[in-house]
Amino acid sequence: MSSPTSILIVEDEYGLAELLRDMLTEYGYVVSLAINGRLALDILREKDIDVVVTDVMMPVMDGPELARAIRADERYRHIPIVMMTSLRSAVPSAPGLYDALLTKPFTPAALMTVLEGYLSDDAHPPDADAASA
Amino acid sequence: MSDKYAPPARRETGVPGLDLIIDGGLLEAGVYIVQGPPGAGKTILANQACFHHASQGGRAVYITLLAESHSRMFGHMRRMAFFDETRIPESVYYVGGFSTLETEGLPGLVGLVRGIVTKRSAGLAIIDGVASAHDSAATIRDFRKFLQELQVLADLTRCVIILLTNAERHSGFFPEHTMVDGVLHLTDELSELRPLRHIRVLKLRGSSPVRGLHSVKISDRGFEVRPRLESRLGNGALSEAPIATGPKMAFGIPELDTMLHGGLRRGSITMLLGSSGSGKTVFGMQFLAEGLKRDERGLFFGFFEHPDAIMAKCRRIGINGIAEGVEKGLARVMWQRPVEGVIDEIGDTLLDAVDQLNPQRVVIDGMQGFERATDLPERLSNIYSTIAHELERRRITAVYTSETRGLFESDIHVPINGLSAATQNIILLRHVEHRAAILRALAILKIRDDDYDPGVREIRITDAGITLRDTFAHASHLLTGGGVSRASRPED
Repeated sequence: MSSPTSILIVEDEYGLAELLRDMLTEYGYVVSLAINGRLALDILREKDIDVVVTDVMMPVMDGPELARAIRADERYRHIPIVMMTSLRSAVPSAPGLYDALLTKPFTPAALMTVLEGYLSDDAHPPDADAASA
Repeated sequence: MSDKYAPPARRETGVPGLDLIIDGGLLEAGVYIVQGPPGAGKTILANQACFHHASQGGRAVYITLLAESHSRMFGHMRRMAFFDETRIPESVYYVGGFSTLETEGLPGLVGLVRGIVTKRSAGLAIIDGVASAHDSAATIRDFRKFLQELQVLADLTRCVIILLTNAERHSGFFPEHTMVDGVLHLTDELSELRPLRHIRVLKLRGSSPVRGLHSVKISDRGFEVRPRLESRLGNGALSEAPIATGPKMAFGIPELDTMLHGGLRRGSITMLLGSSGSGKTVFGMQFLAEGLKRDERGLFFGFFEHPDAIMAKCRRIGINGIAEGVEKGLARVMWQRPVEGVIDEIGDTLLDAVDQLNPQRVVIDGMQGFERATDLPERLSNIYSTIAHELERRRITAVYTSETRGLFESDIHVPINGLSAATQNIILLRHVEHRAAILRALAILKIRDDDYDPGVREIRITDAGITLRDTFAHASHLLTGGGVSRASRPED
């Protein structure tokens, strides 16, 4: 029996982080929360994470910095990274830095479409509101 | 060592009008509070300051506590002219701080602010929703300590920190007010279904703010402060009109110019007081048209009738030359809907037009428009007085119309306000009943320090223009009601 899928949400906005955790937990995922990139790296060291969903602008360490740290570390570079942003212009266009982009506000269906693209056995690329990077 | 006083460095907020009332801008390294109820414009003001700071080459950070989400905020800000997405995240950076406040308390929040300000080299930091920080403090001392740590951070980094908070506090005590360099208080109220927003400087260390309430307008242009007209121009005090000594400015109505012994003195202010339909507006237009014939520039500033309707009326009764004057840039006909703007904006619009056109003659049609647009009636007197002062200072000959309430009332009430006190001349126009007909009548009530003909004349407005007639030569009590004609009296 395979272990449940583990998702790391990195989001500094209190309400949104809580909402995403509750929603994904309902769907059967194991969710960890971090409020900035540095705390996310701490969690990555402690837990097996299948997907990282991260905000872009955050204190201490922002989303792009976190993504670069993940890509630079052999242990984590295989983990899909989904960026969440209110402003597409705020996301750096660095090839390979992240795997998908979700524009806030997004629907639960849009988020699930993206996540299922990376997590399910019959994985398919994200569409709808999500844009593959 | 130089003992010369060096003025403290200031940072312009870029919010139109705000810097005028806060002595030029916020002090570098200052910590400020902007407080007000929801909807008063705190978030818009703060974002506008951030993007202005970015446009000047600086960096700003916006930290939200328990406030609206960033995506929701961006949704609202996108319609604002100042909102420039390309500045995000490089020059304007948004982070949430409430999670940190929840988990690490005020020390954690201070750490977050310190980290983001130094990491981004921010010259401006906004903390939105400071009430959450206050509520999470175990004691007032803890909250003061938090503010003191922000002050130290501001001092070290030269960053200006603005705290946004709801003004409501059950205790009525705001310990933070004693700790910060300035407090700006925003209000949002309804007056006769019109939203009225104001800003007031409660405290401003090391500065000379313009105290009192100032109007605020929020539109797609963002947050705009209209400093009180009377606080910027003149002293606003109610003062009696000075004696005008310039040459006479004719109306171009021969009979009236004869009554006035040539016309109105240059630099004087004249009230055309009359009932609705008595001809006030066309007398004003005639005054401008006569000026244009003499190559004098003229400005018409009206509140109620649309310029197209007024111009059509002028054409119909033979008042010519205004449209041509407008085309040549010698005249301007402006229309200001009184419900549209705050009174300071209307006053600014009038005086801006005066500065641009540099007219010799100005007609303000419907002074009640100012009353309708005013936020606080008690200001009217000082505003009128300020406008009068500004027109006199420019040696402009001004005519304004003011409407009496009744058509045939026996008591004539001259509005007692700043402008009527500063008015040298009063000409009365009204309807009178005479020989089973309703006629228009004109009489000069007051010409300061000049002779005039006190007779009552009938006004005839026809296709050939305006003429005055001696119709009432044998009548009495016409303007005060109960008029009788000598010819009709039995003893005659």
